[in-house]
Amino acid sequence: MKDRARILAIEGLTKSYPTGFWRKPVRVLSDLSFEVRENEIVGFLGPNGAGKTTTIKILNNLAFPDAGKVTLFGGHVRDGADVRRRIGFMPEQPYFYEYLTGGEFLRLCGQLCGMSRANTESRSSELLARVGLSGARGTAIRKYSKGMMQRLGLAQALLHDPELVILDEPMSGLDPMGRMEVRGIIRDLKAAGKTVFFSSHILSDVEALCDRVIMLHKGRKVAEGRVEELIGAETLYVELVISPVLPPARLAAAGIPADAGQAQGDLLVLRAPDNGQANRWMASLLREGCTVLSCVPVKKDLEEIFMERVGGSGATGTAS
Amino acid sequence: MLRRILSIAANTFRETIRNKILYAILAFALFVIGMTFFLADLSVGDFARIIADVGLASIHVFGVIMAVFLGINLVSNEVDRKTIYIILSKPVRRFEFIFGKTLGLSVTLLLTTLAMATVLFLVHLSYRYGGRAEVGIFIASAGIYMELVLLTCLASLFSTFTTPVLSAIFTLSLFLVGHLTKYLYVLGEQSKGTAVRWGSRFLFYLLPNLENFNWKNEVAYGGLKSFSILGWAAGYLVAYAACVLCLSCLLFARKDFK
Repeated sequence: MKDRARILAIEGLTKSYPTGFWRKPVRVLSDLSFEVRENEIVGFLGPNGAGKTTTIKILNNLAFPDAGKVTLFGGHVRDGADVRRRIGFMPEQPYFYEYLTGGEFLRLCGQLCGMSRANTESRSSELLARVGLSGARGTAIRKYSKGMMQRLGLAQALLHDPELVILDEPMSGLDPMGRMEVRGIIRDLKAAGKTVFFSSHILSDVEALCDRVIMLHKGRKVAEGRVEELIGAETLYVELVISPVLPPARLAAAGIPADAGQAQGDLLVLRAPDNGQANRWMASLLREGCTVLSCVPVKKDLEEIFMERVGGSGATGTAS
Repeated sequence: MLRRILSIAANTFRETIRNKILYAILAFALFVIGMTFFLADLSVGDFARIIADVGLASIHVFGVIMAVFLGINLVSNEVDRKTIYIILSKPVRRFEFIFGKTLGLSVTLLLTTLAMATVLFLVHLSYRYGGRAEVGIFIASAGIYMELVLLTCLASLFSTFTTPVLSAIFTLSLFLVGHLTKYLYVLGEQSKGTAVRWGSRFLFYLLPNLENFNWKNEVAYGGLKSFSILGWAAGYLVAYAACVLCLSCLLFARKDFK
């Protein structure tokens, strides 16, 4: 991955917002550094108030850092229209001009991106079909549901065929079908050679989609790495499912502590602390005449890693 | 750049002409202007004069209400509704956004002022005692329109950094002060203190002089026949509006959207 071009680089990013009557600064981001390389899908994780949206706003020139350097496509984040043309952005819970129809709004976006009318029309049709809004093209946005707004937000972000797509909570407000469709779109973007950087609370989506994740807590990066490195580093336990259910005395005879097993109907589920122990238990159980139905090493998922890194109680958001 | 400004202007125009409150104000304004037809019968002497007098005052008052009401929400609505996030994440510079919004609203105000002036012209023309085609109505309305554009620029300046209520208060205050600056200058010149004289001169040139756009009395008394006087006023408008818009752009350029 290191040999791929660096699309986005953040070094020592620090940001405070003035709050209250005396405009006392409250630190939102502290010395944040990371990078995103070409054709990666990078997930940006953190509870509410972690600084994800602020970082994304800085990437989109909607907020300005107090310190640090933000580079997009090798140029400064404020280099202007040329950089912006290569980026597609969907804000969290996007809002649109309610008096426009979906088609009119995409036409406006096309004009702002310097697209020709014909290109805007063909891309709009293609994307509205892709996000499932073809039938709502002529409907006023004020009549759109939350999920439809989210889909339109995705369509406008992709309209000008950007190289880097930045999505702030793209799954928020979507039903399971909508989430699946968005996951499909993100995978298609990667297949088309695009780079995707998105924030999310929904760790299962991040785990399923991302090449790498960056975890943020209270404005600081608490973890970064490839998903398989983070979740595959340590086996929590090995789960054995056997049949039939053995009484405690026979388990003890096989060298298995009684509290290691739990009966679930006709099956007995055992938790071996590591692979070696699981192998020894399997050999004993086979000698006892049992059938081993499955043997699965259980590793930490992103949620556990996330809660571990933020110290459990420190996470104010949902980590589902 | 021009295409982006025009796109934002067209969208702002679309937003404002789909605003039902604008139509309510316009309908009421047209009703009041229409009523001057009957009001003229109550006047003494030149009956038609009261039509031009009250009609132009109505155009002025309702125009200011429209300009302030729409102007104060010009930027703040976009920030509150977060629609600005999508617009500014496109290849749009912030000054293009401010210029486009102001241009769009100016076009809306042009149409509403033209509608009011046309109705007033027709009422004046059709009046049975001394009614005539008074071109001065359009000249004075052009002056009112220029004032409205300047107020729009001021309202958009305030809406870049404060709430709509405060923007309305600031804009209306400048509207009132803008019609009194010449008195400020005259009073200052009568003072014996140098500091007061210089202070009043400074304020006279700093604050908008909206009397530069006021030809209502000349029309009412039939002394305004030429469009040439619009030239000086247009020059003043361009210079002052350019300064106000530049200040808006400077403030807006460094604005953080929380």
